[in-house]
Amino acid sequence: MDLKIIDMSDRHGKFVISGIRPDMANAIRRCLMTEVPKMAIENVEFHLGSIRDEEGNEYESVSPLFNEIISHRLGLVPVPTDPTLYTYKDECVCDGEGCPSCTIIYSLNKRGPGDVYSGDLEPLGGPELRVKDELIPIVRLGPGQAILAYVYAELGTAKRHVKWQVTSGTNYRYYPTVNIDLDKCEGDRACIEACPRDVLKDLDGKVAVDDLEACILCRSCEEACDVGAITVSGDDTKFLFEFETDGSLTAHQALDKALEILEQEYEEFRESVSAMETA
Amino acid sequence: MMVPVRCFTCGKVIGGIYPTYLKRVQMGEEPKAVLNDLGLKRYCCRRMIVAHADLVDEVIPLG
Ligand SMILES: [Zn+2]
Ligand SMILES: [Zn+2]
Repeated sequence: MDLKIIDMSDRHGKFVISGIRPDMANAIRRCLMTEVPKMAIENVEFHLGSIRDEEGNEYESVSPLFNEIISHRLGLVPVPTDPTLYTYKDECVCDGEGCPSCTIIYSLNKRGPGDVYSGDLEPLGGPELRVKDELIPIVRLGPGQAILAYVYAELGTAKRHVKWQVTSGTNYRYYPTVNIDLDKCEGDRACIEACPRDVLKDLDGKVAVDDLEACILCRSCEEACDVGAITVSGDDTKFLFEFETDGSLTAHQALDKALEILEQEYEEFRESVSAMETA
Repeated sequence: MMVPVRCFTCGKVIGGIYPTYLKRVQMGEEPKAVLNDLGLKRYCCRRMIVAHADLVDEVIPLG
């Protein structure tokens, strides 16, 4: 097994992995999508009735959206997660009461007119808990309208709700091989123009591969070539893997966690199999 | 109504992109170039921004 990292930044991961099978690549993909836990907002406590500001002006706790919709929108906001720090609320030492190792609390206090953004969520705790995407619009308040709420985030996985999904656009594809038969090639550029990803280029009147990893195995070039000088095939032991994260975990943390969970699940499976043999 | 927080199809967070997109397009930039620059690679996420109609202002007086 060989790994070549192309990009492993804050929110984007791309790598080439060779010497594995499609089912193994798929296990990593599914694990990244549904098993990696992160924090997301699950409970919102709205203050109902009138809200006063420092100058004594009175506001109504109403807004153009229903409270349920505001809660849902808050839930989808990515909450920064330290993957080593948090435990599931129902497995926590606090018995689901809520404590610093299973819950993050934010306060939301904004008076209209104006937009409420995700950046208005004030964490009760360190500044590292601040939401990173500060510009996500939550609601627009009119004059005399205000929102005052306590917001509780907890750990979960995407099996329960998509708001706990860390990665998006998680995909892999067979590593492309483009074969050009230079003896047959007439260099009429038809294949270069047919390629939607600009994989091919003109090199001294002949066709050459410019950017192999951009190839999506669409075979438009094969179709465009009248003499059959170009063939495209995929290698089912080598994969181009790519995913994005929503910013709550870095790409590296998400991949690390996914592999750890995969390993742990197989370990549990192995244990139950060996227990069966002795019985 | 308000812009959705995430893309309906893939789940990418696109809510935060909308205010930036709007500002840059109103300044006269090409929408295609702005979408590319903001990192929207898939057409599912692009349509979330392009096809959005901001109608909250119509509802505010009814709150
Ligand atoms: Zn706890
Ligand atoms: Zn999308």
